Amino acid sequence: MSAAGTETRIQYRRSRGEQVGVFLRGDWWRIVLLGLFLVGGIAPLVMAFLISLKTIPQFARQPFALTFPLHWENYGFAFEIVLEFIRNSIIISGVTVLGVLLLASLSAYAFGILEFPARQPLFYLVLSLMMVPSAMTLIPSFVLVKDLGLMNTYWAMILPWIASGQVFAMFILRTFFESLPKELFDAARIDGASEWQGYWRIALPLSKSMLGVAAILNILGTWNNLIWPYLTIQRQTLLPLTPGLWAYQTEYFTRYGLTMAGLLIGSIPLVILFVFTSRWFVAGLTSGAIKV
Amino acid sequence: MAVKEMPALPNAPAQAADIQELRKPLGRRIYEGRVAYTMLAPTFVFLLIFMYYPALLGLYRSAFKWAPGLDSDFVGLGNFVQLFTKDRVFLNSMDHMLQLAAWYVVSTVGVSLFIAVLIHRLRGGRAQYTFRLGMILPVVIPAIVPLMLWKFIYDVKVGPLNLFLTWIGLESWTRAWLSDPNVALYAVMLRNFPWVDGVAILILLAGLQAIPYEIVESAMIDGATEMRRFWSIELPLIAGQIKLISVLTIMWGVQEFTAVFAMTQGGPINSTMVPGMWMFWNAFRINKMGYASAIGVVLFLLTLVLTLINMKYITTEEY
Repeated sequence: MSAAGTETRIQYRRSRGEQVGVFLRGDWWRIVLLGLFLVGGIAPLVMAFLISLKTIPQFARQPFALTFPLHWENYGFAFEIVLEFIRNSIIISGVTVLGVLLLASLSAYAFGILEFPARQPLFYLVLSLMMVPSAMTLIPSFVLVKDLGLMNTYWAMILPWIASGQVFAMFILRTFFESLPKELFDAARIDGASEWQGYWRIALPLSKSMLGVAAILNILGTWNNLIWPYLTIQRQTLLPLTPGLWAYQTEYFTRYGLTMAGLLIGSIPLVILFVFTSRWFVAGLTSGAIKV
Repeated sequence: MAVKEMPALPNAPAQAADIQELRKPLGRRIYEGRVAYTMLAPTFVFLLIFMYYPALLGLYRSAFKWAPGLDSDFVGLGNFVQLFTKDRVFLNSMDHMLQLAAWYVVSTVGVSLFIAVLIHRLRGGRAQYTFRLGMILPVVIPAIVPLMLWKFIYDVKVGPLNLFLTWIGLESWTRAWLSDPNVALYAVMLRNFPWVDGVAILILLAGLQAIPYEIVESAMIDGATEMRRFWSIELPLIAGQIKLISVLTIMWGVQEFTAVFAMTQGGPINSTMVPGMWMFWNAFRINKMGYASAIGVVLFLLTLVLTLINMKYITTEEY
């Protein structure tokens, strides 16, 4: 991975004169077009930033251009509210992703490495769940969670999300485990290692990057879920970020400076995650292309 | 280290071992697979409780007139009959869903293909890298943020869209975009202009970059134009990626109702209602849980049919 990375980077390195030449020969209009798409995509965020620094009278007078003095205290106000949502989201998505990785890697190891009766039928049993849309399980899951007394707890989200999230994670991990050389595991068995050691000491360390990919995909999914937390959590102090921002915006809708500041603060955690894991992000997002 | 010293197993004894394995009594083989079953157990416990049970219960409840806590009446296929013959809102919502899904496919494939080809044709490697990163970055913004921002953009009094239209002299075009039943569906549909989809772009770009350069080069030597290069070489060679994106987008478009939920809740007067939202409405606003379950089953069948079509006609095709 890293070797390929340096290779392409060397390719990119051109002298300044060459770069200018390339630009003039035909890149310039492509760059302008692509730049327009980028600007168009980012424009709403820029708008949100400009508005986030205004008080209500400032917004009424001059809605979009900068108005002075800048009211950074909007961010202070929004931060106090949104911080709680962010904390809830980190706990919920964090516990969920740990559970998903543990369960998915164990079952992927069993399906991908081990031999046992009824392996194929059990695998197809899991495969069939890929066709069940979340819409179909929404109502019965809601009734179930209610009957289990999990309403207004983190578990109302964590447990069902572990169950649904592990399916896709299991598929990409199984494909990866199957690609590992069988000899590795045979050698370990001959040396007297148990299957648990094969899982813990061979399979897991070798698949760190795949686990990262699965983790990122899972976090993106749970982080953005609006409907399920909206249904199961009524206490505002337990709301995760996505429904939290929605409730926040509904509550302060006409105080535009505050809502925009809140939306922008809410965007920060995933951006930080992206900065540290961009390689897994890119691999994970294109892994929709992995044939199941 | 042990790996290197191991002699490669010859094939015949390995096969013999397999046969020996199969000759063992089933009970013994199950016993020897106990580690595997232990590893699968937690997964299946979770799946049974939170996936299979709700899915089957949804299927079962769709045959009842049911509200939690009250008696349920068996109505057979009655819910489905009512959905498809009497429920105007549901039928309209299917129509809205088709329009939305069709637009999502067209915009995702069209815009992403355009951007991917533009990036691919960039000669400067650094520019290529920068734009690839720039296109994917918006994915990390929580999905609710653009939805809320676009709700604001469409606002009747302070929304930038109406202010812009007034500014360029088209004041007669201004309206309450999300509260006018004639345009609300299109407002929801056209949100997120200019429809940059980083994931689709990455998938298409990976396809374009996997095309061997010799093919393109020989065509260029033979005098193919840029347009010809795109239509006759690149487009056929990334057909697989385009199909994949279309299928994923359609499947997503059938189930998706977060956008509608966050922007309009299906209103005004059901003009943006989609099946998922109508299900939600029936279940949690007017407590018709059995009826709502039937809508869930319809969505399941739709997904199932799409998956089968996809497996039979689309993914098997290789170029």
